[in-house]
This record gives sequence, C-alpha cells and structure tokens, in this order.
Amino acid sequence: MSSYLIKMLNNSWLELAARWFLGMIFLYASYHKIAAPAQFAKIIYGYYLFPDISINIIAIVLPFLELFSGLALILGIYPRSAALITNGMLLGFIIALSINLIRGQQFDCGCFPFGEGGHTFTVGQLLVRDIVFFVLGLQVLLFDSNRRWCLRQSGNILMKNQHLESI
Amino acid sequence: MPIKDIAQELIVLLSISLFAAFTVNFFSPKGIALLGDWDTSKGVISAKSKENVVVHELEIENVLAAKQIYDSGSAVFVDARAEEFFDKGHIKGAVFLPVGLYDAYIDKFKAAYPLSVYIVTYCSGRECDDSHQLAQNLFAEGYTNISVFIDGHPGWQEAGYPLE
Repeated sequence: MSSYLIKMLNNSWLELAARWFLGMIFLYASYHKIAAPAQFAKIIYGYYLFPDISINIIAIVLPFLELFSGLALILGIYPRSAALITNGMLLGFIIALSINLIRGQQFDCGCFPFGEGGHTFTVGQLLVRDIVFFVLGLQVLLFDSNRRWCLRQSGNILMKNQHLESI
Repeated sequence: MPIKDIAQELIVLLSISLFAAFTVNFFSPKGIALLGDWDTSKGVISAKSKENVVVHELEIENVLAAKQIYDSGSAVFVDARAEEFFDKGHIKGAVFLPVGLYDAYIDKFKAAYPLSVYIVTYCSGRECDDSHQLAQNLFAEGYTNISVFIDGHPGWQEAGYPLE
C-alpha cells in the first residue's frame, strides 16, 4: 500500500496535473478579488474573524499571493515554495470556514466570483473542496523527482533534489 | 529539510506578490485605503476605496433621531434595497428606489418629488452601503437635502416603529 502511494506520489504526470490544476484554480480565484478589492474586503469583514486593522491589508495582499503562487505553479518556478504558500492559504481558509461552520454563521466565502455560476455551495462543500485542494498541494510539495515542464526546478519540501544539484 | 533554500524561494515569491499588490492597489482606480472603516458603532462600514460612497456626515446617528424626522413629516424615506426585501417589509410610507435598478425607477421618482424635497435613504443597516450609494446618485440628479438612516430596516423593525 505504502509503496503504491509512493509510486503515485512520484508520478511526474500526476504531479504536473496537480500543479497545473491548483495553479489554474488560484489564478481564477485571484481575478475577481483583484478586480473588486473593496467588495473582497467586505467579504473578509463578513467572516467576523479578523481585527479591523488587518482587513484591508488582507484584501490587498491575498489576491496577489494567489495570483503569483498560481502562476509559479503553472510555470514551475519554485514549485515547492509556491505549493507551500497555496497550502498555507488553504489551511487558513479551512480554519476560517470551520470556525464559521461551528458558529453556524451565514456568509459569502468569497472564494470565487460571486454566486459561482448560480450555484451556491454550503460551508461543508467548501471545506471538502479546500481539503481536496490541500491534498493536491501535498502531492506537489512531496514529489521527489524531476518535475515536468518546469522553468525553475526545485527539490521537494523535505530535501534537495539530488538529480538537480547542477542547476 | 532544505530550510535555507525554501526560505530564499519564499522570500522571492512573497516579495514579488507584496510589491505587485501594493503597487497595483496604489494606481488602480478601484484601490482601497490601507485601513478601512470597520467599526459599525461609528457608522456604515467601508473599505474606503477610491470609489467610496460612504460619507459619515450624512448619517443619522440613531433610530430615535430618524423617528423624530419621520414623525415631523418633513422627509421622504427612500428604500434602497431590492424588491424582494422591500416586499417583505419596509418603513411605512417609504418609496421604493432600489440601487440595483436605479435607472429604471429614477424618472418616476423625479417626476413625483421636486429637487428641494428632504430625502432620507436607508437599506439593511450599518453593514450595507446601498443607502449611501443611493444618496450619491440622488445628489448627482440635483437633490441637495439628503440624509442616510444607517440603522435601516433592521433598526427600525427592532425599535418597533411602523412598517408595512
């Protein structure tokens, strides 16, 4: 079982698929937030979790973290660190969603463009979705081989890639 | 764990993101202030963007003051909310002028009320800036005497004042 898992983890096509998928998700997620920062700030306020002085800073910075980590994942520039950033954000989203799920608070998650094509997700569905993304991020973080279509190779989160010492 | 390498990579990615974020925010016409107004005790909240419509000077501070204006009969109360909320209940006698369908309703409103009339706009409380948006729209039409009742429909309802 564990050897099967390691084999899957080190499948370079799977790594590429996970990296591109996550990259595109984060690119897509950043767009409407950059286009409407005031609206996004109000959504952050609506979580009732963050101190007033942090709300605007989060609204300004978070979309660009999503944008550049998404781009870095797609282009393969420091992919392990980009995945570290996306998983850090996902962990934050998971915690924020969980707290509001426990509180029973009604709110707009602000994850993607408003209304999400007419379909509104429940907090539980959003949590599952973020956990799936997080697991995909782990694949990118732990992948320990030569990454496909990658502009700037790096090792994985645990070690330098021994094959890439020359880069 | 190659902490040093990862730290270097993170610094590069984070620096680029931070630089781009603050630069774009500074130059964007939709940019927001570094610190917003998020304290409802001080009025309607806002991110204080360059397109900000919230003007605290227009705000009626509490429900009681709004009720006094209402009782004096000197003002037209104007509801900025969408039809579904207006239909569920609104301040008795309030005029329906939803911000979302402003263009469709403004001509009728202008025909009914002269520019000199005293207008009090409201929406769904201090987390809603539609009342401020409506006030700015009406200023642009030429109305000069406008206040914003910031506690809106929920505050009015809570106080037990007349609804319909």
